[in-house]
Amino acid sequence: MNRLSGRRIAAVSIALLVCWAGAVMLALAAGSVAIAPGTLLGLLWHKFVGSAAADDPLATILFAIRLPRILLGSLVGAALAAAGAAFQSLLRNPLADPFVLGVSTGASFGTILYSMFTASWAAAGAAGGLAYGRPMAAFAGAAMVIGAVYFLSAGGSRSGEASQRLLLAGIVLASFLSSINVILLTSTSQADLRGIFYWLIGDLSRPVDASTYAVTGVVFAGFIFLYPLSRSLNLIALGEEDAMILGVAVARVKVAVYLLASLITGAVVSVSGPIAYIGLICPHLGRMMFGSDNRILLPAVFMFGAIFTLLADTLARTLLSPAELPVGVITALLGAPLFVYLSRRRSSL
Amino acid sequence: MRTKSLPELAARDVSFSYRNPVVRGVTLELRPGVVAGIIGPNGSGKTTVLRLLGGILRPATGSVLLKGTTPLTALPRREIARYIAMVPQSAGDGSLLTVRQFAMLGRSPHLSLFGFESARDEEITLDALEMTQLVSYLDARVCELSGGEKQRLLLARALAQQPKILLLDELTANLDINYQVELLRLVGRLTRERGLATLVVSHEIHLLAGFADHIALMHEGSIRLQGPAAEVITRENLKQLFGLDFQVRSLPGGSIEILPAIEIRRHT
Repeated sequence: MNRLSGRRIAAVSIALLVCWAGAVMLALAAGSVAIAPGTLLGLLWHKFVGSAAADDPLATILFAIRLPRILLGSLVGAALAAAGAAFQSLLRNPLADPFVLGVSTGASFGTILYSMFTASWAAAGAAGGLAYGRPMAAFAGAAMVIGAVYFLSAGGSRSGEASQRLLLAGIVLASFLSSINVILLTSTSQADLRGIFYWLIGDLSRPVDASTYAVTGVVFAGFIFLYPLSRSLNLIALGEEDAMILGVAVARVKVAVYLLASLITGAVVSVSGPIAYIGLICPHLGRMMFGSDNRILLPAVFMFGAIFTLLADTLARTLLSPAELPVGVITALLGAPLFVYLSRRRSSL
Repeated sequence: MRTKSLPELAARDVSFSYRNPVVRGVTLELRPGVVAGIIGPNGSGKTTVLRLLGGILRPATGSVLLKGTTPLTALPRREIARYIAMVPQSAGDGSLLTVRQFAMLGRSPHLSLFGFESARDEEITLDALEMTQLVSYLDARVCELSGGEKQRLLLARALAQQPKILLLDELTANLDINYQVELLRLVGRLTRERGLATLVVSHEIHLLAGFADHIALMHEGSIRLQGPAAEVITRENLKQLFGLDFQVRSLPGGSIEILPAIEIRRHT
């Protein structure tokens, strides 16, 4: 295999960006109201040159409904996939994904608590100055869970065993917190039961608000800080003592990666709810395509996660059209069998 | 052998405990071009001393000094890894990497934050693989290697770090005797040619005694005796350390031959 270079990473990134653009076009066209390719291009052109008719219903569907949802899905997928790849290297386990580890459920727990404290579920986060409140509460929930999971699983003698215990602790904690979430939500007499139900499975249909922009900022900032740690992550994936021998400040890098991965997971879950297995599926396919070197895997998976999630959401929107499924249903249908397959093969990174 | 120059790496009265004290008041110096060896029974604290010298563990008391002056604890890990290379007793997983990729990991401490391995790094790695006779396996996966080849690969990774100091923990354990001798010869040659300060830790006394220039005998966490191999390896000292009779013979050329006097009686 060739030596990794900046050029190769740039080439892969550009190729994936083109694929993403293609997926966006597909997702824009598909839906309960199908838009023909010619019409779509025309609408996009008019929007681009600023000559769009103000009251065209197709334009409204395209730019007010579909495009924000597509961008949101891309963001959520990118974040969850990158967090999954980071957790997998850190824990030396290809099954470690934010959902399986309970981090996503912890983030939704934080979000729900925040929403209860800020009184109105629907208006939470929309209050301008509090835009960062909801993602930060979700981050706190996520960080709390990863801390608890780490504590619960401590004491495993062999590293492989410790890693398995970590996953079990995550799964147990996730089911526990899911129940708490349901109790909290039921006790607050919500009107929008369907919305809550969908959000708990992972859904992208909620409208974009001020906190969505805050989440975007948090995800990109988190990824920018995570990326320089990718070579250290490669070495940690070999074993912690080997990483130290080769010059990695292991303790510091581990804390930083835990926090950053929890941060970007928490941020997107505060908007989309805990969408399952994206952090498992995308890094797995990413490793098959690009190898396990995190210097190329992290950026590739960031974009691949965006593509995958927006396609999954398009499927969720169109499969039972005009009814819509939450995207978490699609990802769980794909992810659960992959989890079984990977855990039987027990492949190493 | 005792030069006036500062040692590359020195432990000064170093102690370390987990729950019980494991290492007590160890003082040891590693000098360029010299192979030092620590011999001792299993559980005597040899590996802990090696990890303390490599900066993997922090001494509870005492200090480990680089070039005689700088405490390791004051240096960032990356800096340490440019001076000190270690072959641990059980290496981490890397079984899906190729031999070339695995050895190239040794270049890590020399790369910049966003840097990629350059042609120069590849050259240094290939040089290390050549020395350890692994060039014909460049694109083989690590999991396909035999035990001896895997040990040579770990040595190649350490050499790719271009260290001044080489710490080897049971490098030849579980190898056939011919590979053991071959690997130790290579380490001796590299130490002299490149002026490395090498430490070999082993419980295989018969191998180390004939190979190391400077030997420390370790027992229950402390160094009982150290000095030039010929002075340290005596029948009396070995009997004290292992509780077993040995035949010790000096051979022409300065090496030492050791035979444990084993008598195994059959049940009658």
